[in-house]
Amino acid sequence: MNRLHPLSAVTYAIQYGFLWLWIPVFLVVVLAGVFDPVSGAWVPVAAPFGFLFGIGYGVAYYYRFGYEVTTDTVDVSSGVVARRSREIPYRRIQNVDIRQSVFQRLFGLATVSVETAGGGDTEASLYFVSEGEANRLQSEIRRRTAEAKGQQRDRKRARRDEAKREGESEDEPASRDLIGPEPPEEFDRPAGPTDGEVPPRNAADDTTRVRDATGDVGADARTDRVGPEPADRTEGFGPVTDRDRREDPTAHPQKERLFDLEAKELLLYSFTSFRPAAVAAVLFIFFFATEAVVDLFVTIAQPFGGPTDLETGDTASYGILTIISGVISILVTYALSVAYTFATYYDFQLGRVGDDFVYERGLLQRYSGSIPSEKVQAVTVTDNPLQRLIEYGGLWVETAGYGPESNGGSQSAVPLAQHPRVYRFTENLTGVETPKFEGPPPIARRRYLVRYSLLAAVFVAIAFGVSTVTAFENWYVAAAAFLAVPPAAHLRYVHIGYYVGDDHIVIRGGFWRRRTTVVPYYRLQTVSVRRSIFQRRLGIASLVVDTASSRSFFWSSTTVYDIDLEDAREARDTSRDRLQTALRERAADDDLGLEVDFT
Amino acid sequence: MESLNPRIRFLWIAQGVITAAVLGVVLAAVDQLVVTVPTAVLAGTVVLVLLAGILYAIRLYQIWQFELQSDALYLERGVITFVETAVPFVRVQHVDTQFGPIERMLGLSSVVVYTAGSRNADVRIPGLTPDRARELQDTLRDLAIDSEADDAV
Repeated sequence: MNRLHPLSAVTYAIQYGFLWLWIPVFLVVVLAGVFDPVSGAWVPVAAPFGFLFGIGYGVAYYYRFGYEVTTDTVDVSSGVVARRSREIPYRRIQNVDIRQSVFQRLFGLATVSVETAGGGDTEASLYFVSEGEANRLQSEIRRRTAEAKGQQRDRKRARRDEAKREGESEDEPASRDLIGPEPPEEFDRPAGPTDGEVPPRNAADDTTRVRDATGDVGADARTDRVGPEPADRTEGFGPVTDRDRREDPTAHPQKERLFDLEAKELLLYSFTSFRPAAVAAVLFIFFFATEAVVDLFVTIAQPFGGPTDLETGDTASYGILTIISGVISILVTYALSVAYTFATYYDFQLGRVGDDFVYERGLLQRYSGSIPSEKVQAVTVTDNPLQRLIEYGGLWVETAGYGPESNGGSQSAVPLAQHPRVYRFTENLTGVETPKFEGPPPIARRRYLVRYSLLAAVFVAIAFGVSTVTAFENWYVAAAAFLAVPPAAHLRYVHIGYYVGDDHIVIRGGFWRRRTTVVPYYRLQTVSVRRSIFQRRLGIASLVVDTASSRSFFWSSTTVYDIDLEDAREARDTSRDRLQTALRERAADDDLGLEVDFT
Repeated sequence: MESLNPRIRFLWIAQGVITAAVLGVVLAAVDQLVVTVPTAVLAGTVVLVLLAGILYAIRLYQIWQFELQSDALYLERGVITFVETAVPFVRVQHVDTQFGPIERMLGLSSVVVYTAGSRNADVRIPGLTPDRARELQDTLRDLAIDSEADDAV
């Protein structure tokens, strides 16, 4: 079993030290209140004991934590008193992520997380290992996963051939050597940073691939690194020097660049996207520094006719203060959101190694992840009104794991690019034909009109309620909300669409964050037609297409809202049939269902 | 299409009664602690909820149907929102039979079908006799094994 980086013993010791510090303190305080002999004055003595115990525990935790990459599984065992040994089979791994905080980057460290589809959190989290080890682990796991897949395919093919009883005549011989000429001692090779490659699935294909990639390396070495520092960690992707590789260059597919986020795109993305986290940050600041913030607002508002202080002022000056505070809050929130997006997606690169997508990004905190393309559940194009205005959109791939951020299993493959490009990428990636969207019947728009009118009515009622208890009198001004009802209903209506394709169903919806999701039929889990009492009266229904992609609370199941009942049922039946066809087809050949070189 | 066992109505009615009782207790507490609630209002609300619960239970029983089709388990259910769901056998991860205390008293059992999906990931068929539940569980398991395919995830 391998140990974590020695420095993690220090961080664990400090963490547990401060955690355990509180336990004797708490005990002494509680006991002092109950028993006379115990006195609160013991706290300064008890606290260091707790701290020392915590340090001991942290160090023990470090020594009792082990991980290993074996032939079939990734093993992690942990626990000081209660032990847990976990084995994760390669075929079940969804993605492998490397995260580096600023502190970790300074010391050349990284956190590695391994995600599978099950469970609510990360299955294996190595906090933390050295950068080189992190990259080695990521590529080693990737290589072993590809191997496991190759074996599975071999078995599948063997079974099929047996079933056919038609001999080997149809099976292409050499070019289909799936596992590749892997020397057996490779498995026990020490943890060097050089063995970071995936064996070929398809040797003929890979030869060309490697040649392309090697040319690319010469042209632009920068894009071929995985970590933030190019110098000594590019081995796996650098010029071919390793002895093994010279003997058999086809055995090591290189990293190929698929997409780089350019400066212009990064800036556009930062300025046109909005992160709810920024609101939380602003609220947090306000909560902890309420007085300072209010003073600041008062100072800034004064030149514009605000009150000199909070106590003295009339209705007009308070109004000005409110407006100024609101404007400042919005500006600060927006600025934070821009900065956050910029820092998160700075230097975003997407590449591929074999059949896996690899990405990395981040200004201060670096993320680098790898997603096996066969784990991709669905592909989504998103855009918001601003991005639609400048005709840009983003491309996300959805897996069943959990990503580094709280966005479920969604990973940004292309944060932002021009619409034609994004659509071309999507079509290349999934093989979907250009969708001809069908929308809901006009009666759905009437439904939204009614729904939003009710919302506006509630708003007016609230305004009226407020006017009865406060000095605010012009409650009828709130009726202006009704003006927004027709456009809102119309916008919601026009952005709903769906397309039942040959191999995919494409579902579109949403105005503020419009999503166009391409779901291959072979990824369907369940299909439902839902009708509320209102929908039943209007003869419309919602079609819910469920896949295994794990999504956050906000990113709900893919649903086509309010289409004709007949259309919904037809789409459901088609999807069910095509799922069966697709499964049969996939059993009959090794089609991945995705084109990895999609850019 | 197969309907549920008629006894399931008693389970749902019992749930309605429990809801009504809880509501009654909450209203009584409000009456004691916060504001006075007239006894007529209190009794009226409880009776209304009770009636609604009973009607809901009867209607739900009339609506609930399921069927084993050639490729999928098909279910129809829902009073307020009517849902037709198809669970392809290939997507069945595992099948449970379960029963709670009231179900046990009524001699009923549920079958729960799990998929790897994100929403509607578990589908429950309530109100089956234990024998029927066991039989359905076995059938679904066999169908899921027969239609073995690539991994869903």
